[in-house]
Amino acid sequence: MKEYNLEVLKDAANRLLFDMSDEEYQTLLNEFDIIVKQMNVIGENKKIDEYAPMTFPFDVYVTYLREDIAATPLSRDEALRNAQHKAGGQIKLPKVVQ
Amino acid sequence: MEFEPVIGLEIHVELKTKSKMFSSAPSVYGKEPNTQIMPLDMAFPGTLPTVNKEAVIYAIRVSNALHMKIDNELHFDRKNYFYSDLPKGYQITQNLRPIGIDGYLTIDINGETRKIEIERLHIEEDTCKQIHFNDFTLLNYNRAGTPLVEIVSRPDMRNGLEAMKYVEKIRSIVVYSDVSDGKMEEGSLRCDVNISLREKGTTTFGTKVEIKNINSISYIQKAIDFEIERQTKLLLAGEKIAQETRRYDSDKNETILMRVKTDAVDYKYFPEDNILPIKLSDEFIKDAIASCPELMEDKLHRYKQDYHLSEYDASLLLANKDVSTYFDEVVKYTNNFKLAANWINVDVASYLNKNFIEINDFKLKAKDLADLINLIDKNEVNSNQARNIFSKMIEDDISAKEAKEKLGISSQISDVDFVKNLINEVFSENEDAIISYKEGKGRALGFLVGQVMKKSKGRVNPKLTTELVTEELERR
Repeated sequence: MKEYNLEVLKDAANRLLFDMSDEEYQTLLNEFDIIVKQMNVIGENKKIDEYAPMTFPFDVYVTYLREDIAATPLSRDEALRNAQHKAGGQIKLPKVVQ
Repeated sequence: MEFEPVIGLEIHVELKTKSKMFSSAPSVYGKEPNTQIMPLDMAFPGTLPTVNKEAVIYAIRVSNALHMKIDNELHFDRKNYFYSDLPKGYQITQNLRPIGIDGYLTIDINGETRKIEIERLHIEEDTCKQIHFNDFTLLNYNRAGTPLVEIVSRPDMRNGLEAMKYVEKIRSIVVYSDVSDGKMEEGSLRCDVNISLREKGTTTFGTKVEIKNINSISYIQKAIDFEIERQTKLLLAGEKIAQETRRYDSDKNETILMRVKTDAVDYKYFPEDNILPIKLSDEFIKDAIASCPELMEDKLHRYKQDYHLSEYDASLLLANKDVSTYFDEVVKYTNNFKLAANWINVDVASYLNKNFIEINDFKLKAKDLADLINLIDKNEVNSNQARNIFSKMIEDDISAKEAKEKLGISSQISDVDFVKNLINEVFSENEDAIISYKEGKGRALGFLVGQVMKKSKGRVNPKLTTELVTEELERR
């Protein structure tokens, strides 16, 4: 498992476009310590791969399906408000293929 | 050494719902970029997906048409990848429990029936449209979230023709079940081909090459045939096949390397926890199946059985679903099914082609065409007159009866006594022609019929006239 340290968290925060105070990083590191310890306990179970993930631990089922009715969409200006670069009503970014 | 191609297809079909798969944004093709978006499609925080009921109904219709087992629970998963075509960082799909499994379809190859097994059909969302320029990329999120079904075949096909027939069949099913436009050129039906070669008689698969995004049914066959030839040459030269993704260049009729695949991408699938498992009642599934319009295969059977159309005529009508719907409407008002099929396949088709319009934009209502067909059927007008009436009806936007009157076409005379009198007059004026006929000169019959037609100023029914002239000649 990859080791979690201040450098890794700062790199992740940078990639996700946010930053925190040193105190907040320390709080997060402490939480990671607990999480990693708990994961290690789970990992001690050698048959762990045979269990289905408990995304829905209880038998909760719904029957709701949304009716196919189109709502009024966002205006283009609103939809693109967070985009740093735009061209011709589209989001512009550095070329993503070679 | 002889090789056997092993071909499997993955087909993505865009469903023609009014709204998107997990958001209520409109799902409409060809709108201004980034105008068909709701916050969920842009992955804005605080938004949650809701499942489109109609898309589920459509997926059930197709699963049923493909003889699949239909799951009575809907489960969705996240396919995780980081790329600009989906801002969430994952695509919502069905990995562990597709809605349809273990189906098949049959195709006809040179009179023989081949069964192609289908592994799965799952529901997912489409990605955004990316346009790549020299040094930048533009993103249009209108398509992001459009409902898709992905149909994955087993590697049962052995050549390009089989693959092409398979796609044609899938296309006819999604179009006739009214779940998709099935337009490959617009991307509403997209096909990826997986192809490998193995030594004939062996069972181990060779290295798989993927050909992506082929946008025409005929290109599928061409791309596969080229790829079989390319891989055969490499294997015969002792070279290895690289695991790669290629695309088909229709101008050069060859496949071109896009990228070499190293290890399979790990999408770290896990259950989509924002959508609880959804129970589908037996009644819901039954209703979804019952709501499916008549499929092409069933229509073909009906046209042949009930209307006595030839396979050729019926297939021509069925090549376009809207044309077959028009035919269905026409035959509500006429019993001459064969004539209706001929008129639609020949005269109407030629008018549409000449004017670059689709049947749905054709001015002439089905009932009006049926009225014209009935005039021919009752021998009130001949085919040449009918063609003039047809043009006039379109030109002036009037009924068959009005067009006939406007053109001054009086009804054909089918009064037997009247025609017989004319025949007697013509016979007494043309005894040489009668002798010629008796001597075996068949052309004399046409001459005599022509004379009767001339005498009546073209008003007598030509079919009846021919019958009566022949009868009179035989009698003499």
